[in-house]
Amino acid sequence: MTVASARLPRLSHTVRRWADGWTRVGIQTRFYIKAIGHTGDALLYYRSELLRLIAQMGLGTGALAVIGGTVVIVGFLTMTTGALVAVAGYNQFADIGVEALTGFASAYFNVRLAAPLTAGVALAATIGAGATAQLGAMRINEEIDALEVMGIRSIGYLVSTRVIAGVLVVVPLYGVAVLAAFASARFSTTLIYGQSAGVYDHYFKTFLYPMDLIWSFLIAIAMAVVIMLVHTYYGFHASGGPAGVGEAVGRAVRTSLVSSAALIVFLSLAIYGQTGNFHLSG
Amino acid sequence: MIAVTPAWKPASALGGFFAMALDTLVALPRSPFGWREFVGQAWFVARVSLVPTVMLAVPYSVLVVFTFNILLLEFGAADFSGTTAAFATVTQIGPIVTVLVVAGAGATAMCADLGARAIREELDALRVMGINPIQALVVPRVLAATLVAVLLAGVVILVGLVGGFAFSVFVQHVTPGAYGAGLTVLTRAPDLILAMIKAALFGLAAGLIACYKGTSVKGGPAGVGEAVNETVVYTFVALFAINIVVTAVGVKVTL
Repeated sequence: MTVASARLPRLSHTVRRWADGWTRVGIQTRFYIKAIGHTGDALLYYRSELLRLIAQMGLGTGALAVIGGTVVIVGFLTMTTGALVAVAGYNQFADIGVEALTGFASAYFNVRLAAPLTAGVALAATIGAGATAQLGAMRINEEIDALEVMGIRSIGYLVSTRVIAGVLVVVPLYGVAVLAAFASARFSTTLIYGQSAGVYDHYFKTFLYPMDLIWSFLIAIAMAVVIMLVHTYYGFHASGGPAGVGEAVGRAVRTSLVSSAALIVFLSLAIYGQTGNFHLSG
Repeated sequence: MIAVTPAWKPASALGGFFAMALDTLVALPRSPFGWREFVGQAWFVARVSLVPTVMLAVPYSVLVVFTFNILLLEFGAADFSGTTAAFATVTQIGPIVTVLVVAGAGATAMCADLGARAIREELDALRVMGINPIQALVVPRVLAATLVAVLLAGVVILVGLVGGFAFSVFVQHVTPGAYGAGLTVLTRAPDLILAMIKAALFGLAAGLIACYKGTSVKGGPAGVGEAVNETVVYTFVALFAINIVVTAVGVKVTL
């Protein structure tokens, strides 16, 4: 090995980096499997920690709690995208004289597109990044090592509980998200653009499929699992002092944004397929 | 006093943020401008953002094109898939994906870097030496984030259009020529300029928020982690707020 690296420094460097990349994938996979495997332990032994985390994730910590916590942030983000669907939808439909269909745009695009994508972004930023920052600070302060020394299963106690809490918290959060999107789309169409509420409600109710909404909730739950796993991994393996914690948060946000977007695409393609479940042309 | 403090906290943080934004604006035209810092930061943000940008642009554009094409197929207007792809990519996905990545990758790293310097009292040391940290560190970073956001928006739009093309033509069997011809039906030069303005505004906001949270870190390593977390949240909130306002204004201007 030493002979080869002396003769071909660049090649051996490339090979080592490539091998390191694969090792990292393996370590991540092992971590995820362990975290999911320990969920039983978390539910059995760490119930009070689980309850504490659920309360913390729902309300947010520190300065985030002051402005209303996770609920307000998720609600606000989806509210703006709901309004965006109405603004873009109304103006484009008005171009061809069918602005009555804005209610349809709200029922269709909010459920399939805007709410899941925005909720994914909001979840990664709030409960995800929060978990990375917490776990990273614990790792830097050697609190995680202290847990191991005391004989507590650190992955079960810190990671699995967070994954379960994330899944439990995302259901009401996503409910708030979808409602905020619907309400703001209706508000901007009827009150700002002055469409009659009856027309809007008629097309909205005609094209809102409960089944699509339920699928959309399942997508949100799957997204929560992926986001929590990615964020806890980066927090759990933070290194390099205070700046390292910050960098871990950045890397986690980046990875979870990409993986949750990819997840939404594949799930949407698998669930909805090529049909829209609606019959506009009769 | 104790009961009053939490209620005043957001207001004073907001005031502090605007004060720093004003300081940055004032320090902007003053020489010496930190060219070395500016180039270094711009290169750094571009380096950490490029791959995630492309990886995020592909699923977003594919999902949008896919969802719109279902609607267009229903109308019997699948030939216009290029139109919706161009409209969605240029006006929304381009600026938004750019800033999600610039905020998630660049701004967090900036905040972590500045925060670590703040708790090691390096910023105070700079002030003692008579160097204004706003001018030496914040101005180049904010400008770098703005510049890279504009440049990356172009990449996202290109990737989105190519991704939409591949998906429409190879999966949903739209004629390639129709896709190309449809691109410019709704989306014209003003929309593109507006998208670039949006990206610049987003980059500016992300840079300012990151620098404010970074320079005002308190309380050790946990404080840095928390500041980065708040950077992400506030940038995303600011991004969506700016987006809805600029889109509503842009619709009025371009139509």
